[in-house]
Amino acid sequence: MNHSLGAYEPIVGQAVIRQLRTLGEKFKGLHVLHVNSTSEGGGVAEILTWMVPLMRELGIEAEWKVIRGTPAFFSVTKAIHNGLQGKPVSLSRKEWETYFAVNAENCHELRESLERAELVVIHDPQPAPLLALCANRKGKWIWRAHIDISRPARPVWKNLRDIVEQADASIFSMARFAQPLPHPQFVIAPSIDPLSEKNMDLPDKELEEVRERFGLAPDRPLLVQISRFDRFKDPVGVIQAYRLVKKVLPVQLVLAGGGATDDPEGSEILDEVKEAAGEDPDAHVLLLPADAHRTINALQRLADIIIQKSTREGFGLTVTEGLWKGKPVIGGDVGGIHLQIANNYTGYLVNTPEGAAHGIRFLLHHRDRMAQMGVTAKEFVRANFLLTRHLRDYLTLMAWLLWGDDRHTIMV
Amino acid sequence: MNPFEIKDCALLTRTSGLPAAVNLRELRDRVASCHPDVLFHHFCETPLVPSFDYPDYRNDFAVWAKWRLGDQVLAERLGMIDPYSLPTLEDLRAATLEVIDDRLSEVAMIPWARPGQEFHFMQAITIVFDTGERIAHPDELVSAVSRMTNSSIYFHVLEARRRDPVGVDDFSAWLKGCDGQWGHYIRALESIDVTFFTLSELREKLIAVLTRAKDLGPKGGRP
Repeated sequence: MNHSLGAYEPIVGQAVIRQLRTLGEKFKGLHVLHVNSTSEGGGVAEILTWMVPLMRELGIEAEWKVIRGTPAFFSVTKAIHNGLQGKPVSLSRKEWETYFAVNAENCHELRESLERAELVVIHDPQPAPLLALCANRKGKWIWRAHIDISRPARPVWKNLRDIVEQADASIFSMARFAQPLPHPQFVIAPSIDPLSEKNMDLPDKELEEVRERFGLAPDRPLLVQISRFDRFKDPVGVIQAYRLVKKVLPVQLVLAGGGATDDPEGSEILDEVKEAAGEDPDAHVLLLPADAHRTINALQRLADIIIQKSTREGFGLTVTEGLWKGKPVIGGDVGGIHLQIANNYTGYLVNTPEGAAHGIRFLLHHRDRMAQMGVTAKEFVRANFLLTRHLRDYLTLMAWLLWGDDRHTIMV
Repeated sequence: MNPFEIKDCALLTRTSGLPAAVNLRELRDRVASCHPDVLFHHFCETPLVPSFDYPDYRNDFAVWAKWRLGDQVLAERLGMIDPYSLPTLEDLRAATLEVIDDRLSEVAMIPWARPGQEFHFMQAITIVFDTGERIAHPDELVSAVSRMTNSSIYFHVLEARRRDPVGVDDFSAWLKGCDGQWGHYIRALESIDVTFFTLSELREKLIAVLTRAKDLGPKGGRP
């Protein structure tokens, strides 16, 4: 369900909404097209689900197109995704041809919108070849990288760089993710929607229903990691941390994630995680449907501590979600998690299962500290990582695209 | 009396094109050669960039020196550089280099950061827009400030100090041009040490001192 801008006023304040409406006035009728590779599952689809309607409410002619692909295509794009995040991968010429051929078909189907749009935002590597394939583009094209490509596998980046160089600008979630490119590179952090099913307040009755559904004990601390079943999220490391804690404290663990249509590796990793969890009745490994947003929301709210022990991370929206629910988060000392977790204020940054176990034990023995961190965490997200700030960043980018030059200050 | 035009702004942060600094020597070299907008960003625009709310210091160089180089002495010295007390960005550059050069002459080993903790040199584009709102009379300042966004506060109180007239916030500049006795409001604004507050705190501080000045009137003492 999408909400109007006014619905966010009680959360972010009247001034913030007024600012968006004033700025949005400048872009009425502007045709903006977002292109990505999945309509559900994963942070990008979630962001576009709210952003496109809000842009429309401001009078922007916003469109969202999803490219279509074959299983072979998504295997290639998953390998590219992994390579960009630093995993050594090698793609054959045939695989690159598949990548381009599927994008060429999509380019043909989307040509009218692609050529007409005044601003095209290409999200992540899957649809990136459109940058090279759409010959008659008229508007400005932006490549939006949502993942950490600070240390990519070179053969993969070399090929992709030739494509994304053709954008007019690129956007990264953090400065350290940026790569040398011949166009301006902007830094825009992602955000969460506080009124979405995944983040809205839920009645206690619903929380209890979810607790019962998954057989979670109400009287024992609950640790929750929500994420795709992906090696970079280190689900097995989370189980190791849980086991270290369980030696001394009676904790429960939930590892829950949904599948995404562009992630063919998910089921393989899920099997590994189930094997690692074994027969332990307090280690719950849950594969949830892509639309189980309220369930995920409830699990995060039932948690005492949220974990996101990634070894590579773009931004880590599940960290943002956890902080928004007033929970301390124990997160991997990587990527965008740095931006969100400040040791002793909103949680702990860790590098190992041992580090995670230490943080969990400390917090469970200091409940007052946990409560204080929860308050700080929520206000931190309210100020920095809600969709209203994200929408404002996009409007600002539009202003630069329309009127920008080398000046520091642009009056619009 | 011309009404005060309430403006608002939004930052678009971009990479500067400079390589990240791994150690203090590299930081020095990049500070010496970077575009003035880079200095402005890391000293002055930090309140508008998403970051943790309770930093030890108010500029990015000092924060990096403390947390990534582990050099408390350098952090303390960099942290006390007040970008608004220096007339130009070149003066700010010179002051920063002086502190770094002093430190380089003191240390036996060049402090360095671990991989992944490098200093990234950024700059920003500021998009300024008219909110359409106006303050018709100085006595309306308090209610107007209470309705302003954080970024509007930043633009009129902090960013203004680097525009002509340099070192003066927009409210004071407007009050000085208004007919009548508004010195009590100007003194109230001058009493705030603007660099030591978050923008939300700064708004509250503005409301507090302006309310007191309004209550005391033109003949009242310093707030």
